[in-house]
Amino acid sequence: MKKTMRTILPLSLAFMLLLQGCAGGKKADVPFTPKYDKDTEFSLTVAGSYGNFESLEAEFERFYEYYPNANLQYVTMDDYNNVISSALAGSEPPDIFMTNGAMIGNEMYDDMFEACEVLSDPSSGIDYSCIRDSLIRTTDSGDVVMLPIFTTSYGMLVNLDIFEKEGLKVPTDFKEFKDVCAKLKSAGYDSPVMGTDRFSGSGLFNCFVYPMFAYDVINNSDKVDSLNNLEPSAGELMRPALERLDEFVNSDCIDVAKCQEEITDEYDSVIMRFFEGDVPMMLAAGDVVSGTAKRESKSDAFSAHPFKYGFFAAPAGDEGGYFINSISVCFSVNKNSRNLDMTNEFMRFLISGKELRNMASLKRLIAPVDDFSSDEMYSALAGIPDKRSFSDKETGLLDPAVRQFRAAIYAVGNGQMSVDEAVAAYGSIPEE
Amino acid sequence: MGFILFIIIGYANIRAEESSKNGIIGFEKMTVTTNQIITNYLDDEQHLCDIWADYINSSAKDGTPMSAEDVMAFIRKASISSEIEGHLIFLDSPERAGLSTTAKVSDPDVYTVSYKKIDIFDNIENVVDSTDVVNLTRAYTNPMNGVQSIAFYNFVTVLDEDDGELKDALLMRVVPLSSLEQKLVFLKGEYENVEISLVDRDGNYVIHGRSFKNSNFFEYYKSYNAASAGEYEHVTREIAGGTGTMTIRNHKGEDCILSYTPLKTMTTWILLAYIPASDLVANRSIDWLLLAIATFGFMILLIFNSIVFMTYNRKLAEAAQQANEANEAKSNFLSTMSHDIRTPMNAILGLNEMILRDSDDDNIRMYSENIKTAGSTLLGIINDILDFSKIEAGKMEIINVDYSSASLLNDLVNMVQKKADDKGLSFNLDIDRNIPSILNGDEIRIKQIIINILSNAVKYTKEGSITFSAQAHKPEDKPGAVMIRVSVADTGIGIKPEDLDKLFVAFERIEEKKNRNIEGTGLGMTIVQRFLGMMGSHLEVESEYGRGSVFSFELEQKVVKWDPIGDFEEAFRRSLSERINYREKFTAPDARVLVVDDTPVNLTVFVNLLKQTGIRIDTAESGDEGISLFRNKPYDVIFLDHMMPDKDGIETLQEMKSIKDAPNASVPVICLTANAISGMREMYTNAGFDDYLTKPIDAERLELMLLEYLPGDKVTPVSDDNDDTDDYVLPDLLYGIKEIDVESGLNYCGDGESYVMTLGMYSASAEKKAEEIENYRAAGDIKNATVKIHALKSASRAIGALELGEFAAKLEKAGNSGDIETLDKELGELLSRYRQLASDLEPLNETE
Repeated sequence: MKKTMRTILPLSLAFMLLLQGCAGGKKADVPFTPKYDKDTEFSLTVAGSYGNFESLEAEFERFYEYYPNANLQYVTMDDYNNVISSALAGSEPPDIFMTNGAMIGNEMYDDMFEACEVLSDPSSGIDYSCIRDSLIRTTDSGDVVMLPIFTTSYGMLVNLDIFEKEGLKVPTDFKEFKDVCAKLKSAGYDSPVMGTDRFSGSGLFNCFVYPMFAYDVINNSDKVDSLNNLEPSAGELMRPALERLDEFVNSDCIDVAKCQEEITDEYDSVIMRFFEGDVPMMLAAGDVVSGTAKRESKSDAFSAHPFKYGFFAAPAGDEGGYFINSISVCFSVNKNSRNLDMTNEFMRFLISGKELRNMASLKRLIAPVDDFSSDEMYSALAGIPDKRSFSDKETGLLDPAVRQFRAAIYAVGNGQMSVDEAVAAYGSIPEE
Repeated sequence: MGFILFIIIGYANIRAEESSKNGIIGFEKMTVTTNQIITNYLDDEQHLCDIWADYINSSAKDGTPMSAEDVMAFIRKASISSEIEGHLIFLDSPERAGLSTTAKVSDPDVYTVSYKKIDIFDNIENVVDSTDVVNLTRAYTNPMNGVQSIAFYNFVTVLDEDDGELKDALLMRVVPLSSLEQKLVFLKGEYENVEISLVDRDGNYVIHGRSFKNSNFFEYYKSYNAASAGEYEHVTREIAGGTGTMTIRNHKGEDCILSYTPLKTMTTWILLAYIPASDLVANRSIDWLLLAIATFGFMILLIFNSIVFMTYNRKLAEAAQQANEANEAKSNFLSTMSHDIRTPMNAILGLNEMILRDSDDDNIRMYSENIKTAGSTLLGIINDILDFSKIEAGKMEIINVDYSSASLLNDLVNMVQKKADDKGLSFNLDIDRNIPSILNGDEIRIKQIIINILSNAVKYTKEGSITFSAQAHKPEDKPGAVMIRVSVADTGIGIKPEDLDKLFVAFERIEEKKNRNIEGTGLGMTIVQRFLGMMGSHLEVESEYGRGSVFSFELEQKVVKWDPIGDFEEAFRRSLSERINYREKFTAPDARVLVVDDTPVNLTVFVNLLKQTGIRIDTAESGDEGISLFRNKPYDVIFLDHMMPDKDGIETLQEMKSIKDAPNASVPVICLTANAISGMREMYTNAGFDDYLTKPIDAERLELMLLEYLPGDKVTPVSDDNDDTDDYVLPDLLYGIKEIDVESGLNYCGDGESYVMTLGMYSASAEKKAEEIENYRAAGDIKNATVKIHALKSASRAIGALELGEFAAKLEKAGNSGDIETLDKELGELLSRYRQLASDLEPLNETE
């Protein structure tokens, strides 16, 4: 279980893939061969929550090389999670739409899943064997209705120039972390670590200790069911992570109030604050990292004084940090699509190692194929040993359990609960 | 052609640019029109929304406020389109919640709607409650059906049924975005690929065109256009500032035309119309088509003109070629003819001289004198033609040599004095005694110039005098030279002023009818003027018609020896007296002369010219033969032909001079040559000759030369009462030989005895000569073979074998021109005829 996914240095893996295509027993990339007449005229709509989706639009352009008369459009939907079901039932339903693993098991999305094409059905013609098995989610009936497009992780953005300037090394375990933070603090950095104080997965507390908690869950798999059943007794499994969080927020490492004041959202504000250049470490999810490239030019401070930065695992554990690979975005196909054949044709084109890597590279996210991403931004993750590298799916946690953990860390991190209270309240901790 | 094409292309480009500009202007107008359509549409929709709001608010004013449910019911009735929804949002609801006229498509029982997570009300507090303003949301996803929509809104007052209070609410008229897009369908006809977007002043999309990437237009612009910060600032200011058009790059790197204008009713929103530039410039194809047709037409015209010009040029070139060939042929003809005439003239004049000497019959002597005069005239004409053809061909050169001015003057006077005497004209001399004795210049051409002028003076003067003047003076700026001014004044017929221009035109003769009895080619003055021009001078003419003319010119000559010539007239008178004495015949029976020439006939003429002198003459037909005689016999004078095959005259002389023990080591050697050009004396003197004599051999000159070089004790003057007659009877067999013309042969050879002797020699040497020709040809020595054929030609003509001579002349020409094919083809026949003739003449040698 622990080794179902290997974290390999992106560059070395990229080299391997050059030789082998989809490694680990996967089929090598096969060049896309159009099934239909290239002059076929058709329009497809992809709906999602991203305000813009340039990496997908780049794939549209590549797809046009095979079908020059195609017209593909990405539509941003407001209040996506609430609207998607209506949109699928409405007069202008999308052909492809964004989904994610957290939606599975949530009744709210039953209608949505009802509209999904079963991609594991051979009739769809979609070969997703290049995607890592550990990232493939199925419904209770075992059907594959969503395919991961991007994956993410939780960790921190590190301003490497500050570390170089202060003569420090990026910490790899919690002890080093505290030492470094103390030195940075004394060097004038009021809050050596910052992040957005939000309930979501991008929240700073989640980014810091969720991988540690997931690691503990994987090592105590016998208690997963209790956690998923929200049994209060299972809350004890949160204790190590909550205590580490409590220690973190009460150390010199972070000024939570400062974070609340200066970082007003979980995306733009996180990036723009980091680009101010005075934050040594910014806790963030991979989705936030994906927005950095475009915002470099938007930041006057960064434009004036650019610096080197990278994504690292948060060193919450005594032995070191943990790398958890979570699904960021999946694509599902509307089985009622007015042009299902061509929708599947586009999916067939998109679900390949080559195209998924292209998209991940443009988006600065981690590809769901075996070589993650060739982006140097994530190169530091390669140094994490296999035993502390795993996928979200391996925890076996369902979304309600995850949300209870987030509620616990949100409460503890903000001083609303003690560790004991949070542990005891598992299953009934107020959520957002 | 290129210029016209340049103009056309320039014009087409201007037209294309105009067309492009017009296209852009048209597109901009379309944008403004679209603006109006959208504005009208928005106004209409807003107006409908306002009607709803007015009705609801008027109910409230009237004291019968409508509840939320009432409002929904009212709108359901009022709305005639199922696509249009009404949403009523309570402003005091933190969830931005309210009711919808239609149920949620995913749950037909749900009519509640929430805008909590749809960020479209940021500026709702600033919205003006007015029927004059369009209150419009950005495009958003209708939470009830997931359709991209826009919403018009206004404020209403409704009754809260829970507490019976009036509450402010927002009434929204929600319209699918596709409804607005349908209003723009009209654009698809003219602008197939146009896309319309609406953005706010910050560039955020209200309505998002499909091709526009990013969530913000300005961000899109920045992503795909390499613009500096200043340019980016300029673009954002322009677009936010008013109506206009600009070119931007899209995500494909294509140039696109972006037309922008603020919405009339919502100036914070900007309408963007975007189309690939290639769609707008498509109209250029009309101009390019026109250009292509015009270019094609001009190309056809060019090709046609080229063909016509090429045809004419080819014809002109052919005509020019023919003219050149004709001119060349003419020159060759003149040259060949002159040369070929000169050769028999040698025989004519030589033999005529013998007639003059040998005949006692006055009539015959008179005829002979006439022959001599006519022959001399003919020779002069031929020389003129030869010179003129050389000048025309550019082959005439001025060759400067040292010469004796006295000798030159002497020759001139000698040549003209007799002519003047014959016409009874007084020939006066006015020679400057200070003329330097040795000058440097082209003696031959100077002599030719002056003789021409003097001869003309004699020819065109019936009575009176000819005055020949030569004066010298030193130019101040050239110490080594002297200016010689020569003038010839006559009392002749003179020239009319209007005829003076004709004087120097080739072949043009003045008053030809009047002067038809005067011989001449019309070349004389032309040649004079050309020669003077080549020497840097020109001929001046002063004439009074009926009174006489003065021809003069001035020549600069380098001075070799400044010694003055002294009293030339006195010297001339003395020489004249001596010359008259020379007319007496002399004998020199003890004298011995050797003459070497490869042409037997020339030898015969030479021998016969001196026959009366009794001089013992040995002949040799080659250099080697001559050398052999040179070794063994003592001679008083040796005549050596220059042009001979194998060993020419100069080579023969050098070999003779190298023989130390020969009895003729100090004997004078005279060169016989046909090259009568300047520098010959110098050349032959340098080669070791003592003097030279030109061919045709002038008997008088030959005698004078012999008197000069023979030892005085061997020369005895004799009286001219010689009564020898030619009573020699020709053998009958001669008249039976078709190849020869006996009369011609006699004319060439002088008398019957000489003729028979010449024929014998011809026959005896034939086989040897024929073999020589064959051997030279077999060895590939075309040059010597041709020289021998030349000799055969001369010899054959001399014995009256005229056709055989012509045949030889033809092959000689072929040999000179390198026409080996003709030479090889016809040489056999020539030699066959030659041998046959020799065989026919063989009895003559047996008889001897």
